[in-house]
Amino acid sequence: MEEQIALFIASMIRLAMPLMLASTGELVSERAGVLNLSLEGMMLLGAFFASYGTYVTGSPVMGILIGVLLVLPVALLQAFLSVTLRANQLVVGIGFNLIALGVTTLSYREIFGPLSRVSLPGFDPVHVPWLSDIPFIGTALFSQNILMYVGLVIIVAIWFTLTRTSIGLAIRAMGENPRSADQAGLSVFKYRYGAVLFTGAMAGLAGGFLSVGDIHTFTENMTNGAGYLALAAVIFGNWSVWKTVGACLLFGAATSLQFQLPGWGIDVPTAWLLMLPYILALVAVAGLVGRVEQPVALSIPYRRN
Amino acid sequence: MMKNYFNEHAQVLLTTFGAVFLALMIGLLLVYLTADDFSDALVAFFDGMFGSTYAVGASLNRAVTLALVGMGFVFASRANLVNVGGEGQIAMGGIFAAAMALYGGVSDLPLGLAWILPLIIGTLAGSFWCGIAGVLKVQRGTNEVISTLLLIFIGLLVVYWSVQSDSLLRKPRTNSSTLPESAEIPESTMLPYLMDDSSLTLHVGLLFAVIFAVIIWILLNKGELGFRLRAIGLNDIASRRAGISAKRDMMLAMFVSGGFSGLAGAIMILGEQWYVTAGFSSGYGFDGLVAGLLARGSVPGVLMAALFFGFLRSGGLTMEMMSGVPSAVVYIIQGLVVVFIAGASRFADKRD
Amino acid sequence: MAITNDVNELDKVPLLRLKSIGKKYGEFSALDDVELDIFSGRIHCMLGENGAGKSTLCKIIYGEEVASSGSMLYAGNDYEPLAPADALANGIAMVHQHFSLIHNMSVYENLMLGYVSGVLDVAEFVSYLINLSKRYGLDIDPYSRVSELSVGQQQRVEILKCLMREPRLLILDEPTAVLLPDEIDALLTTCKQIVAEGRSIVLVTHKLAEISRVADEVTVLRGGKQVMQCEFSEEQVDAMISAMIGSEIAISDLRLAGLSLAENIDVIATTNNDEKSADRKASQCMIIDDLSFVDERGNQCLSNITLEIKAGEIHGLAGVEGNGQTELGDILAGLSMPTSGRLYMPDFELTHATPSQITAAGVGIVPENRHRVGCIEELDLTENLLLSSIKNYSRFGLLNRKAMRDAAKILIDRFDVRAPSADVGFNNLSGGNQQKAVLAREISIESLRFLLAAHPTRGLDIGAVFAVYEHIRNSAKAGVGVLLISSELDELIAVCEKISVIYRGQIVGTLPADPQYRDQIGALMSGSGIQQRHSA
Repeated sequence: MEEQIALFIASMIRLAMPLMLASTGELVSERAGVLNLSLEGMMLLGAFFASYGTYVTGSPVMGILIGVLLVLPVALLQAFLSVTLRANQLVVGIGFNLIALGVTTLSYREIFGPLSRVSLPGFDPVHVPWLSDIPFIGTALFSQNILMYVGLVIIVAIWFTLTRTSIGLAIRAMGENPRSADQAGLSVFKYRYGAVLFTGAMAGLAGGFLSVGDIHTFTENMTNGAGYLALAAVIFGNWSVWKTVGACLLFGAATSLQFQLPGWGIDVPTAWLLMLPYILALVAVAGLVGRVEQPVALSIPYRRN
Repeated sequence: MMKNYFNEHAQVLLTTFGAVFLALMIGLLLVYLTADDFSDALVAFFDGMFGSTYAVGASLNRAVTLALVGMGFVFASRANLVNVGGEGQIAMGGIFAAAMALYGGVSDLPLGLAWILPLIIGTLAGSFWCGIAGVLKVQRGTNEVISTLLLIFIGLLVVYWSVQSDSLLRKPRTNSSTLPESAEIPESTMLPYLMDDSSLTLHVGLLFAVIFAVIIWILLNKGELGFRLRAIGLNDIASRRAGISAKRDMMLAMFVSGGFSGLAGAIMILGEQWYVTAGFSSGYGFDGLVAGLLARGSVPGVLMAALFFGFLRSGGLTMEMMSGVPSAVVYIIQGLVVVFIAGASRFADKRD
Repeated sequence: MAITNDVNELDKVPLLRLKSIGKKYGEFSALDDVELDIFSGRIHCMLGENGAGKSTLCKIIYGEEVASSGSMLYAGNDYEPLAPADALANGIAMVHQHFSLIHNMSVYENLMLGYVSGVLDVAEFVSYLINLSKRYGLDIDPYSRVSELSVGQQQRVEILKCLMREPRLLILDEPTAVLLPDEIDALLTTCKQIVAEGRSIVLVTHKLAEISRVADEVTVLRGGKQVMQCEFSEEQVDAMISAMIGSEIAISDLRLAGLSLAENIDVIATTNNDEKSADRKASQCMIIDDLSFVDERGNQCLSNITLEIKAGEIHGLAGVEGNGQTELGDILAGLSMPTSGRLYMPDFELTHATPSQITAAGVGIVPENRHRVGCIEELDLTENLLLSSIKNYSRFGLLNRKAMRDAAKILIDRFDVRAPSADVGFNNLSGGNQQKAVLAREISIESLRFLLAAHPTRGLDIGAVFAVYEHIRNSAKAGVGVLLISSELDELIAVCEKISVIYRGQIVGTLPADPQYRDQIGALMSGSGIQQRHSA
């Protein structure tokens, strides 16, 4: 029983990790006022580029870096469309997701052949000395692969920057009232571009985690809605960093239960567990669990006139 | 005055066709790069679109589904409501239509009621599904983009659940390898074909699409309802002050919008697939959404976009089957069209 | 920290010099050949009616707009700001008419924005803020959320935002429009303090009363052109008024119309004085009985409002913006429901009525913010004129556009709405014509019995203002009861028969609309109590 719970926690964290990376990254954009529906597409591209990079260089670290780097131009294009051209952010997001799906599927088939499943070198678990010896949850929490720790550090950095630094203040202002920020002498374009690029990098990292870090391979459309789930987590987390992380853990738990519950003799239709994150997000955005703190200027392009 | 009107429309058409052309060129290039035999691949593509009466029929059927979803989107967008949940509404429409066809006792009814009733139920299911987002919007001010988006996934999972569950739509398991899907619907509930030529599988859905397109066009552009929706979309407070019931009309818009997609889903099941599998909607909701977005509020535009994407899809599938070039190329073309138009709309639209 | 400079030396060289500044928006010339000199340590007032170009000029100085022609010299150097950041870097700061504060953030967060960098040290900044606010007499709580502050308090935050940057030039765009009388006093005192440190202030206003108290120099703008620039003195006031308005309209007519130019205008009997008799036995038109309203945030916006308007009477409701007038307007329009109390006409219960029921009862509303409540700018003129009666033009669900156009033309002619055609986009009309259109629609309601006009002349040019007054007076003559909500005391005194004062959501007094009560009404508006004696 203990072991099962430890397993459950470990798998919950593992499943939640890509969500946490993507959603905290998206959080930064949304606090700055930009909605990236293309999160799904960017994660998928990240997953693909990271696997390709690992395959070519043989090193998972290089692979992940390549994954992140190659997503950045995509994020730049997204920023250009959403911020400079002031295009409808919905439309842009959907378009990008379509392109990403097409490009990754096409490239995967061309490069790796339609049927073979490439197995990539992955990450060994890193054992945090002494902490990972804590009975019961030690292994679960402190023997994960290195990306996890890196991810956590990044998330803490996001929280600190957003709440305690002038950059964070500026980002938050962009999402509430970009006109004020502009009149205070801050460049709305620069901050929003920066935020979108950061989101792209995080999405790329999340995708890399999925392919290289987790299952050590790439499959077509492997994100399968994880990007939308990450968006839902931001909503459910009411645009606050730690609540979003909590939401991701919750969603990870729901997904993990899908595999664990049958083993515990509880028979719940898988579909219900898979639906749970979306239902929770819907309940949250309906304002049924408290006041919605959506950034006022979210998805509204800024124009100084 | 006339000149301005012409200029505006000319600009919009130009950017649209320009975007489409550019995307197609890029698509062509990709096919060239990935195909073992370029001309073979192209031939297969065209075959899939027009190569036979069967192909044309299939393409038109696809276009019908997309057109309905797109029309629903445009209807709601007149009131500035953005319904992106077509995929989920298709899902709900499909399973309810199937449920009625399979277990609703309609298969013996005369006068076509055997398929008309399931279509109606499917439409209502889609209405209801979008109506949830409508209620949230009207009562709690919830952003309908987010709520309809979330409802997509919930809807798709409901389909998944319904075909997995023996007590719902799953067909009786005869052995251990029986797939999780519904039974096939009775023949009387299948949509009749428009013509007796059995190679042309074009069903009555086409009639629905055309008739509704005309009705919607009249309602939106010449009708009081269209005016009210437009007023609400632009300024709901001033509309309320002027006596327009914004809440009621918004709910109506969402219902109708969802109903169209529900109908599309019902047609997919009753007209083409004849049984329900998880993921039967195969992204048509998104495609229809894209058609609606590209049309920018114009009903004829939806029809054109739907035809374009419907034929494109058919071509892509056949090309993949026959020459191995992944139909994913079609996704890329679609995505590019969307992105190009979104980017260019800044120049074509006088209103940001 | 005051700027230590030799004041005499500075007097000769202007801090900011504008040479032949012009600004065109397409064909429209907002500014034409404006010359301006602003000196250190002085308050320079910019005077002009609405639409004269004052705000545009300020935007150019602050870098929010770029001049189409002309040049600027700042401290002797060429000055061509392309963005507010350039202006700020040069020590020029601006407090806009419409604040740009972030409502969901606290005061200190708003002030830190763009000012501090790196990791935020909140405690230190807050103590700095408190010192700064004490120095200038701008009392504020740094931890409070902006959304919870009153308008006057928000303005203080805006001013602090500017002062933090130790500006050499501070531009204030219509700062007193939203303030209570004693807040206005405080602001003008603060201005004097700022200038005593060697800084300069450009004060944009259309209220002569304030100018008399603080101005060192005055520039008058009219129609984008600069028509007067001089050092301020009392003798020049009349000349300033006529420069502001132009000589087409005689000063005496202006005073008759009661434009809010000077505090001491004698309002001579208007042509309608005979009808202002208080003994008229008119019937009741609209009764507001013990009305209270609490908004969704729990604020008590209206408390026990009781008003009775008689048919044919023009009843004024005086008050500085933000004292409940908006909420009252929304309730009268049927857009929100009162928390308690009643609203009714002799044969119509309107307390819980929908907007269409209210319109059917013969109630017309000219809202204070026509863009929010009164019109839909993206629609065309015809559609806006017929917005509330659209059902009458609908047959089997289809709209009869020809009938609509015909009906619209009648209204356009009758109310002199200047527009190239009936199909022109509503936002292509000038503010004055838009307001006339809204008025046209509301006054033409079938069997109109009550008209609410909230700040109907705000932002309008003289011609439109006159037209509005005329329509209101004509309606009253025809037996319509009118409730005129305004913050311009002179307007109310000239047009109304009785004036009730609203302060913090309550009716604090009702007085006849006679110049002799002017001070009392003003005192009530500022909440100083009913019994007040003022020396003349």
